[in-house]
Amino acid sequence: MPSTGREPVVDVALQGQGAFTGDTVARQRTLAKLKFSDRAFHNLTRGAAILVLVILGGVIVALVHGSWLAITTFGLDFLTTQSWNPVTEKFGAIAPIYGTLVTSLIAMLIAVPLGLLIALFLTELCPMSLRRPIGIAIELLAGIPSIIYGIWGLFILAPFLQVHVQPALIGAFGNVPILSTLFAGPPYGIGVLTAGLILAIMVLPFITSITRDVFEAVPPVLKEAAFGLGCTTWEVSRRVVLPYARVGVIGGVMLGLGRALGETMAVTFVIGNAHKISASIIAPGTTISASIANEFTEAVGDIYTSSLIALGLILFVITFIVLAIARYLLARVERKLGS
Amino acid sequence: MSMPAFTVPQVSHAPQDLAGLTEKVGVRNLNFYYGQNRALKNINVSLYRNKVTAFIGPSGCGKSTLLRILNRIYDIYPNQRAEGEIQFDGEDILSPGQDVNLLRARIGMVFQKPTPFPMTIYENIAFGIRLYHKVSKSELDDRVREALDRAALWTEVKDKLGANGLSLSGGQQQRLCIARTVAVRPEVILLDEPCSALDPISTAKIEELIDELKSDYTIVIVTHNMQQAARVSDFTAFMYLGELIEFGSTTDMFTSPKDQRTQDYITGRFG
Repeated sequence: MPSTGREPVVDVALQGQGAFTGDTVARQRTLAKLKFSDRAFHNLTRGAAILVLVILGGVIVALVHGSWLAITTFGLDFLTTQSWNPVTEKFGAIAPIYGTLVTSLIAMLIAVPLGLLIALFLTELCPMSLRRPIGIAIELLAGIPSIIYGIWGLFILAPFLQVHVQPALIGAFGNVPILSTLFAGPPYGIGVLTAGLILAIMVLPFITSITRDVFEAVPPVLKEAAFGLGCTTWEVSRRVVLPYARVGVIGGVMLGLGRALGETMAVTFVIGNAHKISASIIAPGTTISASIANEFTEAVGDIYTSSLIALGLILFVITFIVLAIARYLLARVERKLGS
Repeated sequence: MSMPAFTVPQVSHAPQDLAGLTEKVGVRNLNFYYGQNRALKNINVSLYRNKVTAFIGPSGCGKSTLLRILNRIYDIYPNQRAEGEIQFDGEDILSPGQDVNLLRARIGMVFQKPTPFPMTIYENIAFGIRLYHKVSKSELDDRVREALDRAALWTEVKDKLGANGLSLSGGQQQRLCIARTVAVRPEVILLDEPCSALDPISTAKIEELIDELKSDYTIVIVTHNMQQAARVSDFTAFMYLGELIEFGSTTDMFTSPKDQRTQDYITGRFG
């Protein structure tokens, strides 16, 4: 029989078996090797997890360290003062905090109901042939870089609002007690409302795609059961789909809120960057992230820089509080339903 | 060579006399399609008032599909289509003008897996009632109690009506679903393998329940379990590969089936 230069498979298998029954040393060596790679893998994953904590801790330490000068100089007044004066070096954060919260609030008021409606339409009502195109369009919307939203907001949306929408709002609500203050002042185009609108458009795809995914995860048989009682699509959506998917919906909303709070570029373009609080939502304002982005390059002097970093620390804390509230809400909803 | 001993399930109900019966639902020349796929072929069958009709047959024979046509639940999916006629008290269920929401309130359905809604036990029942009837709080309380009573669940849950429906055991959940269906006061109740996910004791309770409910309702049950069909039903229909092979009183079907395939199935030769 001519040699093929290779051992027949059967022989290898037999020898292999021999190694395990006879040669225990080799077997132990193999096991030791496996044990080593197992431990290495264990440590690798643990290291990756610890790295997250280290980075988070580093960010906190750096923020506190950087803002220490501002904290010691202004104390708690920093949180309540409106003045932001680089010349006299008097800084206070209340205007950007207010702007951050109000723009995010406007964004959520618009994007949450809209996102839920789109998601319900896509999962419950939309004909199959339209589902994919609309779904893809929404994902593309999420993929547009924020700078593009910024220039679009500044060059197209803001002038449009200035000419068509804001004069109408001012005219319509000018004599209504509370609304007249909300829509007071000249129509600049740019301002808190415009920033809120841009943010709404930016967070809409997040809320829509997450809620759509959780709506799709509702078991079909549960929906059938509700339809089987004679429910209309609206009743099924409101009484069965939404309650079932509530955890995911809250998660999606909070993710959107997190993005709205921190969004920088687009907001910086359209908010007007005025360090003051106005009752009117069409007046210019500023947000924490917009202030930092706008002023970092021109921040001369330690106290100015430190104040900007302190703004960053505040944003960090706000985001943390939002997350904490979200967790608390989820826990409460779960407890109330007793599941 | 002698024939092997058949294990024919014991039938509990007396043979049926067709003379005194009213047809509640009449299926005529029904065909059903999943896309291009024809799942039901020329089905003709009558469901009688205050009787229990069981549909048996191997998996995929179309028995659940038939049930899902009776309350037009298939409507919520695209690409599913029914042709033919289903008479229900003189109107055609399949006609395009049919108000499906109202239809589903009149023909209730209980599914294979318990499907309590994500709300309290009380709300699970009250939910359906509120859809159709404007009732006062006290009347609502009464009707919830009545429905839970009918489903033999009241004594087990009366102290925890505020608990989530999902906190109940599987058997209790299924009876909650029956209570929910009964609460809407339907005329026909469709049961799609209601016991297949339940333990024997829960199954026995539900079978007992079916027996009590038939005095007020027309009941249709799909089951894999031939013993169950024999125990609970007055009429039995045997389906195979999308066709209705044989229909008759349960006694006849289990003691003297006319079709060889029916005989093979009920004696456990296939399926």
